[in-house]
Amino acid sequence: MNNILTQNDIRHVDYKDVDLLKQFVNPHGRIMGRRRTNLTAKQQRAVEAAIKRARFMALLPYIAK
Amino acid sequence: MAEAVAETEQKTTAEAVEDALRVYEVGYHIAPTVKDEEVEKVVGGIRAAIEKSGGSFIAEGAPSLLKLAYQIEVRENGKRTRYDRAHFGWIKFEVTTEGAKAVSHAVKNEKDIIRSLVFRTVREDTRAKMKAPTLREVKRTDTIRSSVRRGEAAEKGPVSEEQLDAALDVLTAD
Repeated sequence: MNNILTQNDIRHVDYKDVDLLKQFVNPHGRIMGRRRTNLTAKQQRAVEAAIKRARFMALLPYIAK
Repeated sequence: MAEAVAETEQKTTAEAVEDALRVYEVGYHIAPTVKDEEVEKVVGGIRAAIEKSGGSFIAEGAPSLLKLAYQIEVRENGKRTRYDRAHFGWIKFEVTTEGAKAVSHAVKNEKDIIRSLVFRTVREDTRAKMKAPTLREVKRTDTIRSSVRRGEAAEKGPVSEEQLDAALDVLTAD
């Protein structure tokens, strides 16, 4: 599977890695779908959880623009 | 008799699950109004809460002042205060499920902590060791090379030894 996580051998997604998580949200701050991210179902769930934690901790916006 | 044995076995397994140590992480935002010297004191309070509930530390990220993605509104003494920056830090620790609840409760009750999050994680370092790709990577081949004009190159052509000597003589004559 050709995606950012597999390419960089990232096994765990941390909510503090804001720059990494920004790759998976669109300019409005919404989480991209699997068709766009090319992630596996397991990776997509991990990214989704990390983004939601980052949003709660005000590291990422809920809505942008 | 057999039922009673099964019941006690079930109880012991339930207790074992409760007593099992699990890895958790606490992330916290300390109010920006707290001075740098006092930030360490607040972190000390979180560490004390973890130790009190029988936890052991695995890793820690020192608090640093950062700009928040949105303003956090906090009620303080009947007043609403909005913060757009905070000291963000985290601690990874190992504790029982009951201990994690106690830590979460203690961190929430700390008045200088404006927001906190306790969740289960893994012992390994979870930070990604990659540099996030920039919007457009500039390739080395994109650099513009100064091309020699065809006309000039044709005019000059190859220089002979004699011509070179003559040119040097002219230069050294002065």
